[in-house]
Amino acid sequence: MREFSYVVNDELGIHARPAGMLVKATSKYKCTIKVLKGIAEVDAKSILGIMGLGVKKGEEIKLRFDGTDEAEASEAIRALLKETL
Amino acid sequence: MAAWKDLFGFGKEKGIVIGSPIEGEACSLDNVKDATFSERILGEGIAIIPRKGRVVAPVDGRIAVMFETGHAVSLISEQGTEILIHIGLDTVNLKGKYFTPKIKVNDKVKAGDLLLEFDMDKIKEAGYDLITPIVICNTANYSEIKPYPGFVSELGKILVIKK
Repeated sequence: MREFSYVVNDELGIHARPAGMLVKATSKYKCTIKVLKGIAEVDAKSILGIMGLGVKKGEEIKLRFDGTDEAEASEAIRALLKETL
Repeated sequence: MAAWKDLFGFGKEKGIVIGSPIEGEACSLDNVKDATFSERILGEGIAIIPRKGRVVAPVDGRIAVMFETGHAVSLISEQGTEILIHIGLDTVNLKGKYFTPKIKVNDKVKAGDLLLEFDMDKIKEAGYDLITPIVICNTANYSEIKPYPGFVSELGKILVIKK
């Protein structure tokens, strides 16, 4: 299991487009990936799940990876978040 | 209703019919000038060029996401279909201006219930394209999502989806 935290820096938070980009990326991996915000936990491969978190600028989310390709997935997703959010 | 469907052979089709949340002209997602939608990143679906600034529930279901900015709403139908209605392109930038949500997250809704209103003229004046993609976010769960382009009234057929 791997996890990391990330503070969203994008002015508009995680709205429809970033949620779509994130799911497009997470769906490439076999491992289960969760996004956590406070007590809420959603499937990082679900667009509706991620949009439902309503993550705003300055809020911290945690990503948790569990499965065979978790190392590769967590590196790729971390890089994507840094680059786009 | 069931007898009427059988009479026209629709009962055998086993598709789930999604009605239009907005009155307007339905067209392919290919026409949407935003790759998030035209490349189906959020899922397969259809787009509506609105003629009225009203969004109603396309099916019976529950509100899954009501964006604080009011520019998009998504619901989960009773059969588990995840539908996102995104009013206009880049309208997240309006930060809520010109959108008036009428429901909140987790509300149960019936097809035809008013979900939100938007000021078409003001949004256009502000320079935004009003084309409204309606996408099935859990597209992967279905074998076919067929769009029905053309003029539609509220709840007119826009998509038929099959397991």
